[in-house]
Amino acid sequence: MSGGGPPRKRNFKIEAFKHRVELDPKYAERTWKVLEHAIHEIYNHNASGLSFEELYRSAYNMVLHKYGEKLYDGLKNTMTWRLKEISKSIEAAQGGLFLEELNAKWMDHNKALQMIRDILMYMDRTYVPTSHRTPVHELGLNLWRDHIIHSPMIHSRLLDTLLDLIHRERMGEVINRGLMRSITKMLMDLGPAVYQDDFEKPFLEVSASFYSGESQEFIECCDCGNYLKKAERRLNEEMERVSHYLDAGSEAKITSVVEKEMIANHMHRLVHMENSGLVNMLIDDKYEDLGRMYALFRRVPDGLSTLRDVMTSYLRETGKQLVTDPERLKDPVEFVQRLLNEKDKHDKIISVAFGNDKTFQNALNSSFEYFINLNNRSPEFISLYVDDKLRKGLKGATEEDVEVILDKVMMLFRYLQEKDVFEKYYKQHLAKRLLSGKTVSDDAERSMIVKLKTECGYQFTSKLEGMFTDMKTSQDTMQDFYAKKAEELGDGPTLDVHILTTGSWPTQPSPPCNLPPEILTVCEKFRAYYLGTHSGRRLTWQTNMGTADIKATFGKGQKHELNVSTYQMCVLMLFNSADGLTYKEIEQATEIPASDLKRCLQSLACVKGKNVLRKEPMSKDISEDDTFYFNDKFTSKLVKVKIGTVVAQKESEPEKQETRQRVEEDRKPQIEAAIVRIMKSRRVLDHNSIVSEVTKQLQARFLPNPVVIKKRIESLIEREFLERDKVDRKLYRYLA
Amino acid sequence: MGMAAKTGRGRVRLNVGGRVFETTADTLASAGRDTMLGAMLDASWNAGGHDDAVDGVAEYFIDRDPACFAVLLDLLRTGTLHLPPGLPEPTLCREALYYGLLDRVRAARAGEFDGDRLRLAASVPGRAPGDGTAVRAAPDGGCCVAHGGAVRVYNWLLEERRPVYLDHAPVNDAAYLDAATLLVAARERPGNRRSDGGGVGGGVAAFSALTGDLRHRFRVAHGRQPRSFTAGALELDASSNRVFASCKGRLNEYGVGVWDCATGEQADFFYEPPGCALGDADKLQWLDNTNTLMVATMFPRTDASFLTLLDFRDDKSVVWSWTDAGTPASLEEKRAVHAVVLEDGRSVCVVNQYDDLGFLDLRKNAGAVRWSSRSKLMMASAGKNKKAAAAARGYEETCYPKLAAHGGQLFASTNDTISVFSGPDHVLTSTLRGSGGGAICDFSIGGDRLFVLHNEENVFDVWETPPPAII
Repeated sequence: MSGGGPPRKRNFKIEAFKHRVELDPKYAERTWKVLEHAIHEIYNHNASGLSFEELYRSAYNMVLHKYGEKLYDGLKNTMTWRLKEISKSIEAAQGGLFLEELNAKWMDHNKALQMIRDILMYMDRTYVPTSHRTPVHELGLNLWRDHIIHSPMIHSRLLDTLLDLIHRERMGEVINRGLMRSITKMLMDLGPAVYQDDFEKPFLEVSASFYSGESQEFIECCDCGNYLKKAERRLNEEMERVSHYLDAGSEAKITSVVEKEMIANHMHRLVHMENSGLVNMLIDDKYEDLGRMYALFRRVPDGLSTLRDVMTSYLRETGKQLVTDPERLKDPVEFVQRLLNEKDKHDKIISVAFGNDKTFQNALNSSFEYFINLNNRSPEFISLYVDDKLRKGLKGATEEDVEVILDKVMMLFRYLQEKDVFEKYYKQHLAKRLLSGKTVSDDAERSMIVKLKTECGYQFTSKLEGMFTDMKTSQDTMQDFYAKKAEELGDGPTLDVHILTTGSWPTQPSPPCNLPPEILTVCEKFRAYYLGTHSGRRLTWQTNMGTADIKATFGKGQKHELNVSTYQMCVLMLFNSADGLTYKEIEQATEIPASDLKRCLQSLACVKGKNVLRKEPMSKDISEDDTFYFNDKFTSKLVKVKIGTVVAQKESEPEKQETRQRVEEDRKPQIEAAIVRIMKSRRVLDHNSIVSEVTKQLQARFLPNPVVIKKRIESLIEREFLERDKVDRKLYRYLA
Repeated sequence: MGMAAKTGRGRVRLNVGGRVFETTADTLASAGRDTMLGAMLDASWNAGGHDDAVDGVAEYFIDRDPACFAVLLDLLRTGTLHLPPGLPEPTLCREALYYGLLDRVRAARAGEFDGDRLRLAASVPGRAPGDGTAVRAAPDGGCCVAHGGAVRVYNWLLEERRPVYLDHAPVNDAAYLDAATLLVAARERPGNRRSDGGGVGGGVAAFSALTGDLRHRFRVAHGRQPRSFTAGALELDASSNRVFASCKGRLNEYGVGVWDCATGEQADFFYEPPGCALGDADKLQWLDNTNTLMVATMFPRTDASFLTLLDFRDDKSVVWSWTDAGTPASLEEKRAVHAVVLEDGRSVCVVNQYDDLGFLDLRKNAGAVRWSSRSKLMMASAGKNKKAAAAARGYEETCYPKLAAHGGQLFASTNDTISVFSGPDHVLTSTLRGSGGGAICDFSIGGDRLFVLHNEENVFDVWETPPPAII
């Protein structure tokens, strides 16, 4: 038995299983005290004695050893306590120092928060996300919000102070904008909800009531222009305020408050304000006021449409007066000039004040279209205006000026519904210009034709162009005539014949008058020459359309060259062989139609300065019992005397009727052609559809009357182009 | 930095755990104000000046390990991470966390994701019972793996966190709302039904990815009545902050549910129209450029495959759809088993059970699949033989191929391999075969990593692109 003996019993001490080596709780408490002290020192501006590394490490150790919660809660409590202290000192601030104190403390808190966050960075990275706590920085802001901004003693005082300062600034005082900016920025930093609930909403409400009151005051004592100036200034002030010390998001909200209170709520009253509203601004060309009104009204709902409606009804009303005023109708040139001036005036307003707004341009155009067509003489007058300009008005004007005037006329032309009536008149007036050699510029004439062509197409101007061709051919023919027949003609009167193609010219059948024998001889020679070169043609003299230059010698050997019409020439030639002639004698000798004769005698005897004849008895009108004498005493400063025909311009009432009738006649085939075109493609169509389609096809030239269309349909049925449907009488059927 | 910066011309002396480092304030400041070093040098902590400044150079003491600090200082100086032998990565990461430099370390560890330059970075053994159903990459480089009734969560160091359980109901899908929040879709457990219709188990819920705590349950109400449901696939629309999930209710309320992530409330429900399978969907994909949701319900979960594009605006509508239903069923028939919309949003790529890729044009309806022969997978023949053998043995094939599109490349899993296709014509450019964990049941790309979940060994492989070469 060696080394025997009972095995020695050993006492095993079983120690309790330790899951983790816990940090001494006292150590945790001690560490926290260090950190707590540091937080206080930071708030006390006494951080220079603190070691960042030590504090960071301490906080790290607390988190590492599962004292994160203690650390976090300790931070929260300490900061809450500090903020309560701060809130007391802010509350104690007197009057104007309140905001300054608040701002200073906010700056301190921000700086402290940054440093605290530096120390607790490790906790922020590890403990906070896993335990769903609020990060340190956000926690600091939330506590500031709850204990400072929402503290009962500060909350309403802050709002009142801010609103009071803004009110004082609105009343003209200078306030500390930098401070305001810091405070509103603080509210934004605390979260958009804080800024909106604790400042912006009440601010907007107070502003609304302020501007509601002020606008009421202004509107009672200011005229429209001044009111708008004030409103504009207020609007700019508010935008400026936002840019200086409010959040940018407030701009749209506060401007919409001002817009609503100052503009939208008083819109109608402003526009219709007596003696200063929109209409007065338009009348007086107040570009600046109009521009302001446009800029302000476009900001509010229905603002621009209100302006447009008022402008439209004003334009229609004044336009209607303009075109229906019998006084104005006396002078067509003046009439059209007024229309053009009116258009220019409003064009300028729209371009200067309304920013060339398309909807306003459209309103202007539709107004013009409306009232120009109220007067059915507008087409005639516009043509007369062109006539006037192309006869004399363009002397000295440059090519560009001519273009400008013609363009303006074309603008009016576009408004016309009865473009075919214009065409009719234009043809007449052009014919007169061409035949009397009074067109000033061939280029201007052609430019006008080109414009009409672009506007209405080839068909519209083909006859007008034919007239120009005739003029050119006539010139060539006359050169040839004189070149070949010179010796045969001797030195008799010089003849200048315009050969007009029938149909191209607005000729009226008029019996030729008796030409003086000298002229008649030449005319016969020309006829022989012309028919000799062109077989199968017929020449008819249009004596009512010609002109003549004659030389006359008056008393004391005074010699004058007279520019007269063919009729006048015939009359004057009679006085070569007689000193005095009665009306009846003249009428017999010349066979000029009575109305023309009267007109031509009137211009020879009754116009002062051009009275180459003397009438007995003296009076303004020509009667059939008058006697005419050669006026030996006629004098004139000019060698060349142009004797016009009285009332050559505007058409007389019967002439007007006649023209209208001719227009109506011309329309018939056009309407019929349109009906046939439509029915050919559609085969079967009801009455109303035909009317609307025809109207659509023809509206570029004129607005056909439905009654006339119906008549044309009936006529086509008679001529078996169409038939009524046997079952449905409203339907028409095309017969091929 | 105050005086130190002036007198020492920006030089800073750091005594870390007894070892002295000299560097410049600029180098330390490059770490950022939001780090321990940045804060330590900030003016607010140096207002009192440095009493212990030697030769005008400020000196700081830091009570940490000097070896790790050397690596981190090197990282700040060079932007690259060099881990000396013998220094474990977790130790370095712990120190980096102390200094607030963990993000810098993570960013320096790997390069930008490139499917053609991947290397196997880790193989993590699974420990859950049952087959893995899904692996999902987290935006920060971590991932989660759904196994049966749990979702196992890994951080980017691939350390496991606390798992997530949704009443231990079988998990169908998971998705990261952000790096810290995980959404889980689960099936209702049979037999666990409540009479009040509230139901437990299934549905969609949000969890903390850090702690595994339940944060929020997404509810579905039909006719204002809350109903329990089974959630299939999940998808997020980041721009409008919405969650989509395919849903099957007990009373045939099939469709796609939509929730607002901010409020957690149900925002919409797209009821399944006739002829479309939505409630059973395998995969949802939100398409930013067309504002539509692609819903894929694939064979063999259903008898035929359905692809549908849903438009959730004003009047909810199906804007595009395709199905292979009605084609004669035979064993040899090619059936699309997975689908992905390519990144241009114009076409869908599908894959069939024989690993062929096919394409469908999203811009025209009623098109047919254009099967691609050029991108035919290299492993196809081997896979086919194996599958044929498996079919002969009479059990069902569990790992059908899956697809993903990322960074202009197309990824397809076939058997135990990931194939990478590049360029407009989808040419095969890389083949990745990992740790030998058997067939791949799911893979996911995100946070610059590719995670591949293998079926047989219950292992997941992590692939990443190495940092760019130094020279």
